[in-house]
Order: sequence, then C-alpha cells, then structure tokens
Amino acid sequence: MDDLWAVAVGVFQAWMFVVVFFIMLPAMCGLSLGVTSVYIQILVKILEWATLRIQRGRQEQPSVPVPLPNGIIERVGGSMEEEMAPAGAEFSLSDALFFYKEGVESIVDDQVTQRFSSEELASWNLLTRTNHNFRYISLRLTVIWGLGVFVRYGVLFPLRITLTVIGLSWLVIGTTLVGFLPESSVKTWLSELVHVTCYRICARGLSATVHYHNRDNRPQKGGICVSNHTTPIDVVILANDGCYAMVGQVHGGLMGVLQRSMVRSCPHVWFERSEMRDRHAVTNRLRAHVAAKNKLPILIFPEGTCINNTSVMMFKKGSFEIGGTIHPVAIKYDPRFGDAFWNSSKYNMVSYLLRMMTSWAIVVNVWYLPPMTIQEGEDAAQFANRVKSAVAHRGGLLDLDWDGGLKRGKVKDSLKEEQQKKYSSIITGQSNMDDPDSSSVTT
Amino acid sequence: MGALQSASAHPEYGDLAEKTGFSIGKIRVLHKRFKQLSHNEETLRRDHLNDIPDLACNPIRAQIVEAFFDRRNYHQNGEGPVQEIGFEEFLVVMSHFRPPSLHMTEEQRENVRREKLRFLFNMHDTDNDGTITLEEYRHVVEELLSRSGALEKETAKSIADAAMLEVASISMGHMEPDEFYEGITFEHFLKLLHGFEIESKMNIHFLNMDTSTLCK
Repeated sequence: MDDLWAVAVGVFQAWMFVVVFFIMLPAMCGLSLGVTSVYIQILVKILEWATLRIQRGRQEQPSVPVPLPNGIIERVGGSMEEEMAPAGAEFSLSDALFFYKEGVESIVDDQVTQRFSSEELASWNLLTRTNHNFRYISLRLTVIWGLGVFVRYGVLFPLRITLTVIGLSWLVIGTTLVGFLPESSVKTWLSELVHVTCYRICARGLSATVHYHNRDNRPQKGGICVSNHTTPIDVVILANDGCYAMVGQVHGGLMGVLQRSMVRSCPHVWFERSEMRDRHAVTNRLRAHVAAKNKLPILIFPEGTCINNTSVMMFKKGSFEIGGTIHPVAIKYDPRFGDAFWNSSKYNMVSYLLRMMTSWAIVVNVWYLPPMTIQEGEDAAQFANRVKSAVAHRGGLLDLDWDGGLKRGKVKDSLKEEQQKKYSSIITGQSNMDDPDSSSVTT
Repeated sequence: MGALQSASAHPEYGDLAEKTGFSIGKIRVLHKRFKQLSHNEETLRRDHLNDIPDLACNPIRAQIVEAFFDRRNYHQNGEGPVQEIGFEEFLVVMSHFRPPSLHMTEEQRENVRREKLRFLFNMHDTDNDGTITLEEYRHVVEELLSRSGALEKETAKSIADAAMLEVASISMGHMEPDEFYEGITFEHFLKLLHGFEIESKMNIHFLNMDTSTLCK
C-alpha cells in the first residue's frame, strides 16, 4: 500500500514538473517549444489522409450522403427589378410569382437559421461530434479515430485541465496581490504582466495556436476594439496579445470571483444587471472610460451573441455611439481542428469548455484592421455597417445584415415592409401615367 | 454510435421519390431541413414557417405559408386547410417547384405547366370556389402593395380593378353593361398566362447532390 502511494506521488511530481517547466513557464514568457506546431502538422497530415479515404469510400458506397456546406439551393434569377420590368408596366398575375419563388426558396434554405448551429464541414475531421452525415467507411479509419479518442481524452484532456486550473488560480491570486499596491506605473505594468501570462497559460490549456496578422494595427490605449463573436474563448485569444478592459455583466459564482479580482488590478467595466437596461448609463460609463486616454482599450463584441463563424451579423450601433477610435479585429477559427462555436441553447458553459478541451486543437487567425472613425454625415448605424463589412471582408466571412438577436426573437415589423415598399415603387414608377393621383414615390 | 448506422435507415424515401420525382439525395436533404424547421418534431405547423426571418420580409408570406397547409396541393383531390403537415405533404408541395427534367415529351411538359399553374391559381383562389373573384384579386394586390403605406388603399384598389377589367376583356370579349364578370376561372387563367414560361420561372435549382460528381 505504501509502495503504491509512493509511486503515485512520484508520478504526480513528475507530471507537475513536466507541466510547469515545459509548458507553463515558456508560455508565460511568450516562448514556445514548438511541440504544438509539430502536433498540428502531424494532425493535418492525418486529416488529409482521412479525407482521401472518405472520398474513396464514397465512391465505393454510393448511398453515403454528401455534405453541403454552402447551402441547398442555388439562387438563380435576377433581383426584383430585373424580373418584373420586361413583363410590362402593369401589375400582372405573374408578378406574384417572383415573391412565391423567393418565399419557397427561403423555406428550403435561408441565410439566418443556419448561422445559429455549427458549421457543417466538407469532410470529417475524426471527431464524433462533427459527424452529421458520415457513415462507416473502413476499418483503418475507425482505428485512427479510436486512437484519436484515446489521445484526446487520455493524454491531452488532463494536461489541459491542469493548465486551465493553474492559469485561473494564477489570475485570481496575481491580480489580488497587485491590487494591494498603490496606483503607479509599476502597478500598471505588473497588472498587465499578470493578465497576459494568465491568458497565455489558458491558451495553452486549450492547445490554441493563434496567428496574428498586421500587429502594427493593434488597439491603442483610449480606443475601442470591436470584433466578431463566436465563443467566450475569443477573449482569451485576443488578450494573449495585449491587455484589454473587459465589458460585461456582473456574474455570480466562479465568474464573479474572477471579475472582482480582475477589477482590483486594472479598471474593467462591469455592469450590474439593472444598469444594463439603461442604455444611456452604459454609454456614459464607457465614454468616461474612453475619455481617460491612459486606460486600456475596451473590448466589445457588437453582434451581441455568438455566431457560428461563417458570417458576420449586424453590429449593434450602441458601441459605435461612444466616440473614440474604433480598432476592428477579425477572428477566424479553423474548423478542421475543433468546432469553437458556443451554441448556448444546446450546451452550457461547462460542457462547452469540456468539448473545447477534448477537441484536437484550436487554430485561429486574428487580423488587426487599421483604425476607423466616424465620418462626416454618417450616423452610428452606417458606421457600424462599414466596420462590419471591413471585418467580414478581412476574415473571409459572409457579410449579413441580419440581427444576431434573431437567435431568440422575431423579425422587426419595419423590415417586413421593406419589400412591399420596393415593389410598390416599381409598379407606381412605371404606371404613373395611369394613376395621376397616386402618391409620390419614395425610394 | 451515430457514425456507424447503416445507410438504408429510411426505406420510405423510395416511395416518396416515386411520388414526387425528387431523387433520394434531395429527399434526404429536404428531410433534414424539415426537421430543422420543425425543431425535430414529426409535424410542421404554421408558426414554424413564420419563424423564418427571410420569409417574414416577403409581402405575401401568408399565402405562401397557406399553400403548404392547403389540401388542394396534395394531389389527393382533397380540399380545405389543415393545421399541421408531415414530411410527405411538405415534399409534395415542394415538388411543384421542381425543375422539369430535360427529357420530357410535349405532353409531360404540358402536364407540368398545368400543375404549376394550378398551384398558382390555388394561391389566389382562397375560398376554393374555382374562380378568382375581384375581391380575392384585390386582396393579393393589397398584400403586395399597400400595407406599407407607400400606396394609398384606393390606388391599390384601382390598380386591381384596372387589371381585372383587362382580364375580363381578354377572356370574355365585349361585355354587355349589365353582365357581371364573376371571376377568373382556371380555364381563363390558363389562357391568360398562355405565353408565360412558367415551367422555367417557377423552379428552385437544387445544388447537385448526387455522389457521382465526386468521382474525379
């Protein structure tokens, strides 16, 4: 019994030694031993082999279904103006056909509903969770998959849990300690150090490999950083490369402990639930933060909810009314290595984190875009759209005008009337001669 | 384990394929979409379709949704509305929008035309009396035009009246002053849309889902 105990202690000590010296310390210094990149390269080779095997398997078994990541239908046919104009200036029965076709097309495949569930991959990446359509192909593939399960759950998962626990406790302890110091530049420097090292450890805890592009465009103090939102891990990804002031609601439990300790060392902006409802109070607090030019840049996700990283949805204009320079950032996750999207209606936070820690890895591309400011004659909504298009363009994501709030709510009535107005203007514009009393057309 | 199911989990796809003319691949994809829309329930209701944001912006969404719940479109000679539909009915209504296959005889093409025009006619003829009356026609014009307030209700009404008059003159020739035009019957409807290429306009192009395209 004693021998067993001694062996267990010995193993545990060796384990902690490996973790601390080979992973944690280099991570804190921002260095890398290169293990992760080798791992990723091996993984890519295996996944490519798996893809070829699956394609071969599909040829042999024609009943295996094909995934369609780009949607079900091809929208042929012109816009409203093109379809209607040749038919004549009058209203005709067949005009309605344009709307019928559009309507049925929306029933078959619409742009919005698919954004709130995980992206369907073009080829299986050997994780059961992305297995929507794939059937049994071959023995070798199943063996590799089994090996993958063992590696992910047996080897990587304990490692990642250890690192995350260390990282979070370091955050709480470190920020509390720094909080005791008086306000000075030393305190600021120390607090930034603590934050960055902790986030680096957490990033290792997810096996995250982040490629930062255009780092000279990084957000400066007194600015506002906006980004597309896929998962709460976005925060870890961005904070690895700079210090931000977080914005959010005050939570209870573990999150609350983290929030309270973080705010001791540097000013984050946490709102009570009652304050969130008052938009002016929120805007004023943020404005005050930005106006103090020596405070850290604020990190905001204007979409307001998690989208599945294939598109960018409407940026809420509230963030753009604060003033100051906007530093847009585009984040794109590589879906082959793990599905980073947090479907909050399907998974709660804990099961989501467990899923993340048992994926292959998280590979991200982060692009810093040049800063933008509101221009003359532009209102907040137009500015928001401009920033959104820039982010979507850079990240290779689809630029949608829909509101992320549709995940939980219905379409606003004002939008429903847009199409009617457009059609009316076509008809009355052309039949102005028949109805001299018709009201003037507004476009 | 979901990964290792056998491929023939849905033998009824074969029957549906024969009935509607869709290929097995397309039926599978549409079934997935059906389950997504109905939130994994067995039947679809009107409010499931009303939840689609793209559809909410369509001025005649009410008619489109009704078409799915209208027994006249199920090819079973039934009539009247239903409250909820299963996948089979969904597929049958969808099949009206299937593009005509390339190898069709003239007669088959004519049948396809008639079917599609019948579908369009049913959408206008809401009380199912076999004619599109002036009231029903006005209703469609209003839905399309005036609710947004860009057009006065009176203007929409006069547009509908003018169009109806033209229809009457085409189908009935010259009318006596006391003759009453009851409405557009299906035969008139066919005559009106005689030149209209409905079989090419009323189509939804499905992306090619057959596995044969994967072979390189």
